[in-house]
Amino acid sequence: MASYDKTEIADLIDGSMPWPSTRAIMSAHKDDDRFDKYLSILQERVPWHHPILLPIGEHLYIVQSGENRIVKCDCGHEFGSYQDNWKNQALIRVRGDRESIAEIYPGRYTCDPEWMELREFICPGCVTLLEVEAAPPGFPIVFDFLPDLEGFYEDWLGKSLPQEA
Amino acid sequence: MTDTLLVDEDGRFAVGKASTTPQNESVGFLESAEDAAGYWDLTSQEAFEQLSVVLYSGTGMLNTLLSRTGRRVGLIVTRGMEDAILMGRGLQAWTDYSYPDRLHAVTHQAPEPLVPRHRIYGVTERIDQFGNVVAPVYEHEAEKAAEELVAQGVEAICVCCMFSYVDDTHERQITEIVQNVLNKRDVEVPIYRSSSVRPVIREQSRLNSVVIEAYAADVSREQLVGVEEATQSQGFRYGVQTVLSYGGLAGIRYPRLHETMISGPVGGILGAKYVGDIIGSDSVIVSDMGGTSFDISAITRGNIPIENEPTLARFKLNLPTISMESIGAGAGTIIKVDPLTKKVSLGPESAGSTPGPVAFDMGGTEPTVCDCDVIMGRLNPDYFLGGKVKLNVEAAKSVFKEKVADPLGVDVYEAAEGMANMLEMDAKESMRQMISARAVDPADYALMAYGGSGPLHMAEYSRGMGFKNILTFPFAAAFSAFGCTTADYLRRYSRSVQLTLPPNADAEHRNSVAEEINRIWEGLQEAATSEMGDEGHAPADVQLEMFAQMRYTGQLEDVEVPLAMQRITADSDLDLVIKEFDELYAAINGAVAQYREAGHSITELGIVAKVEKIKPKLVRETLQGETPLAEAFKGTRSMYYNREWHEAQLWEMDYLKPGNVVAGPAVVEHPATTLVIPAGDRVWVDEWTIVHYEHAEDSSESE
Repeated sequence: MASYDKTEIADLIDGSMPWPSTRAIMSAHKDDDRFDKYLSILQERVPWHHPILLPIGEHLYIVQSGENRIVKCDCGHEFGSYQDNWKNQALIRVRGDRESIAEIYPGRYTCDPEWMELREFICPGCVTLLEVEAAPPGFPIVFDFLPDLEGFYEDWLGKSLPQEA
Repeated sequence: MTDTLLVDEDGRFAVGKASTTPQNESVGFLESAEDAAGYWDLTSQEAFEQLSVVLYSGTGMLNTLLSRTGRRVGLIVTRGMEDAILMGRGLQAWTDYSYPDRLHAVTHQAPEPLVPRHRIYGVTERIDQFGNVVAPVYEHEAEKAAEELVAQGVEAICVCCMFSYVDDTHERQITEIVQNVLNKRDVEVPIYRSSSVRPVIREQSRLNSVVIEAYAADVSREQLVGVEEATQSQGFRYGVQTVLSYGGLAGIRYPRLHETMISGPVGGILGAKYVGDIIGSDSVIVSDMGGTSFDISAITRGNIPIENEPTLARFKLNLPTISMESIGAGAGTIIKVDPLTKKVSLGPESAGSTPGPVAFDMGGTEPTVCDCDVIMGRLNPDYFLGGKVKLNVEAAKSVFKEKVADPLGVDVYEAAEGMANMLEMDAKESMRQMISARAVDPADYALMAYGGSGPLHMAEYSRGMGFKNILTFPFAAAFSAFGCTTADYLRRYSRSVQLTLPPNADAEHRNSVAEEINRIWEGLQEAATSEMGDEGHAPADVQLEMFAQMRYTGQLEDVEVPLAMQRITADSDLDLVIKEFDELYAAINGAVAQYREAGHSITELGIVAKVEKIKPKLVRETLQGETPLAEAFKGTRSMYYNREWHEAQLWEMDYLKPGNVVAGPAVVEHPATTLVIPAGDRVWVDEWTIVHYEHAEDSSESE
């Protein structure tokens, strides 16, 4: 059974692992303690103590806060229940004209703003860019991911959801 | 490790080992030579003074390439081709991968280019595929490129024009312009032309070859020179030779040193050809099972198969190489059981020699096929490498039980045999594929099994295949190195052409083809005699053999046709060339596959220049009785085979004499290899001390 050190998993998270080692991990059977190690590394890196249930983005986590499961940024800003789209609580910048799109995609890379706009979701707490989506103008904000936490923990990991200590 | 194989005229040999010293390879080489000489009670000085040939093959060049520590190369190409080196060939992103990884594109990764984009310049020029100048060289562009490369401080410059294999005028012209710039700036930087590396079609592999030569060859040459100086300080009187990927020897100052990079499997097939000639078998299938891989190839009617575009370190090269098919299955192959599906898989990861299998007790934690052999009593725990490595049977058993047998819910011995059988089936399947792809009859072929683990598993991987005979050697573990000593000084020179001979070609056309063939052969001959002369071979000693790569017009694969003639002197010579091709094609693919109505195409013309070298001779002895000498018998050991325990007789390989017969269940042991003979099978030793394996009469395929 493959198993890796916490430092190796940390390198994997940071993308600092050399390619040959990364490839060796990709080619091996999945290590069965990966999720636990992954979570504990993320938990050590955040300045708050709500237990992380699931990472859902580069800076975003679903955490247990008292009785509630909420989406939280690593800066500590809380977005409310994970069952609601956290994007609705974020600062949003829409790049909906040629000029602002061209700042990111210059020249011939620029899309037609009649057909597509770029929406940037920014954390009100730390002003980190959390997510970008591309959608036709007028299209509702996309709800990326509503996980089945109970099913994942109980059926796949074979344990109950962690509670706040 | 650095291995030294010391061979005397009679083919007797001694193997020495020492740790490799990458900073200065000559140190490790001398140490291992001293170790080898010690077996014959010689000092290394005494050994070197008597030697007539020293062959050395190191991995310096490959390491330079893998670690990307070669020279700062600048590159000038036909304008429009500047990105070719970055794009590479698609297969370079996954070649050498296991089958599952090939399918999982997320694991694919293009190799890091040897030349960064900012040191690549395009120059407008074009000669088309027929040799017509479509656009002249824009000299000002070449000059500017050279100036900028000098400014960037490059250590070597490569020039590669798209159709330089048809006509290298533009490449030469660009080279001259670059040289003028270098002279003007008073900089000394070597320039490499792709057409002088090998003027053959397909620019990507030609480009890779010329760049690798510029990038890595000189570092490696320094090591070789160091080795040569070391041998000469010990009293060796000649120059050190190195082995070319197509089976020749070359002095270490050979200008195209990248041709030495693939020399691993070369020895075995040369040895097989040599032994095949002695025993009168011109068709041989070779199988080399070592620690990490199983390599196979086929010599058909004396012809060694050549692969023209091999892959090395994930670069496609333009380099004729003895063709070997390889699967990642050897004794050191790691056995894995998928935790979810319980599917067993072998490799391709290997425990290598460090940490090695669990039984080595050197830190290996993953069970390997070698551990299975230990568990089943097939390997002698006290006589591995002549007793230098004690095998820990209990450790092997407990790790294997925990990681393989228990998860599968199978008895440990049954599981161990199952794993060994899996390896043997993989090996057998790869041979079967090679045989069926060529539609040949195995009954025409002798199988030679060698490599450290070949004799250990040959009983099963050759069972039921229907070979004419099955051979192995007391020196199976050193067979590849032995094979290298049978090589001659050999060079291949070739050039791509586009010549067709339709069945109804008129005299004028046939005449023009003949003239073109002669023109190319003459050019190659000049190059051959002058290069061989540079290495000190007298012109009279140089034997030339012409060859042509041919196909039926419209087909995609070539057959290399060796030709006895030196030039086309009459129209009937062309018919002779065609006849040779037709016969060889039929021998390889079967007569029904011939397609003479389509006419014939010649895609490449070449010559092989050869100077004979002194070789070890196998000694022929008179046959003695069937019963081996008493001192050859070493007792008995319990051995698990076919799900039963047998009391196997143990024999010492070196004491078996010509004529002796050993019947299974038996194990013939040698410090470097172990031959396992299950009940019912037997081996006998012929007058050349070659071991012939015979399966039981009713031996059908057990699948």
